[in-house]
Amino acid sequence: MSIMEHNGGSVIAMAGKDCVAIASDLRLGAGAMTVALNFEKIFPVTDRIYMGLTGLATDIITLRDRFRYLVNMFTIKESRAIEPSTYAHLVSSTLYSRRFGPYFTEPVLAGLERTPSGGFKPYIAGADLIGCLNFAEDFIVAGTASDKLFGVAEGLWEPDLGPEDLFETISQTLLNAVDRDAYSGWGAIVYIITPEKVITRTLKGRMD
Amino acid sequence: MPDMSAIVNPQQRQFNPYAENGGTILAIAGADFTVIAGDTRQSEGYSIQTRYAPKVFHLTDRAVLAVNGFAADGNMFVKKVKQRLEWYRHAHAKDMPLRAIARLIQTMLYAQRFFPYYVYNILGGIEEDGTGAVYSFDPVGSYEREACRAAGAAQSLVQPFLDNQIYFKNQTPAQGSSHPAHLPLPDVLSIVIDSFTSATERHIEVGDGLEMYIVLAKGRTLPDAVTTLRPQELPSSAGDGERVFVLKRDLKKD
Repeated sequence: MSIMEHNGGSVIAMAGKDCVAIASDLRLGAGAMTVALNFEKIFPVTDRIYMGLTGLATDIITLRDRFRYLVNMFTIKESRAIEPSTYAHLVSSTLYSRRFGPYFTEPVLAGLERTPSGGFKPYIAGADLIGCLNFAEDFIVAGTASDKLFGVAEGLWEPDLGPEDLFETISQTLLNAVDRDAYSGWGAIVYIITPEKVITRTLKGRMD
Repeated sequence: MPDMSAIVNPQQRQFNPYAENGGTILAIAGADFTVIAGDTRQSEGYSIQTRYAPKVFHLTDRAVLAVNGFAADGNMFVKKVKQRLEWYRHAHAKDMPLRAIARLIQTMLYAQRFFPYYVYNILGGIEEDGTGAVYSFDPVGSYEREACRAAGAAQSLVQPFLDNQIYFKNQTPAQGSSHPAHLPLPDVLSIVIDSFTSATERHIEVGDGLEMYIVLAKGRTLPDAVTTLRPQELPSSAGDGERVFVLKRDLKKD
């Protein structure tokens, strides 16, 4: 069985109007056996950036700590919060530095980028396990249910959704996709990032 | 020293009698109709063999069969099913009922248990009680009656979307109301078209064209919203029975 699918799990990010959303399931498995249903895969990077990591659980934890260290060093040196586009390239170069012995994770980023006029612009990005960046303007998916997520998201997503409509869209997409994936599911968590606040909601889903 | 030139290294030869020809099929049952649809792209690996190879076939006035997987097996299987239905007509002077066609397909598939037709079948049509029905099969004949089913290359993309839009999975009805058991025909057609445009967008083996067969129960007429789409009516044996229509749409060719 492939390393990327050993622990299971899926993440999705979506862009809306002046907001972004990122969501994941909560399952941790060891092959077909479920080990835990409280394994969070999305981590805050700054007040306005959240990152989801899918793939091998041990690498998810290692990279979460490593990126926290790198972001702390950036913040101290620059005396400012890192921007999403800068952070995306930090993730990319960190992963590519292990080009021939990679971390087995696929990151998904969601954040609000500051514009020259002082406003905020939705920013989502994804990368493969060696850091090839993917800038999409609609949605990014990763994990064992990625094909299902692509299908449902392509059907449900539309441009310029407000925070509450975006929450409904990303939640329905995630829940219906992971219900058709044996390696994902067992609960879900959603983050909606707006310029004012970040809304966190834990979803009740099928537990089978 | 023995003569070494007489020793020949072992050789292995292999012939794979199967191919995978891509594409996706889908069927949704309504209260008094069924929609059976499929794209028309046929591919092998990264090459497109043709942009128009039908995967959905009109069997009788009330039955339509969609086949997906290995196209050669699919075409041969449809040919043999049609032949058995013709024999039935000659013996009994009527068309075989849908549930009987479903059981016939099971026995025909299981007859090839040790050299299977490499095909996923979806049978759609009208039951004897006038209800819309969908039967889905695996390659060796295991089957089930359902309200909707997707199969083929983009099954994993389309089926969870159908779970959500047809079965209303993960949706809670408003207080004091309930979800409809069956959707009206215009809604079903919109969902079918959306499913295939989505699958075309994200799957390389899906695209080119879309064929939707509509089987209408006895005495029912097409809603105005569907008549305006100008579906083509297929000739039926009796004038007052079930009717079959075809709706064609273009899908992206890239």
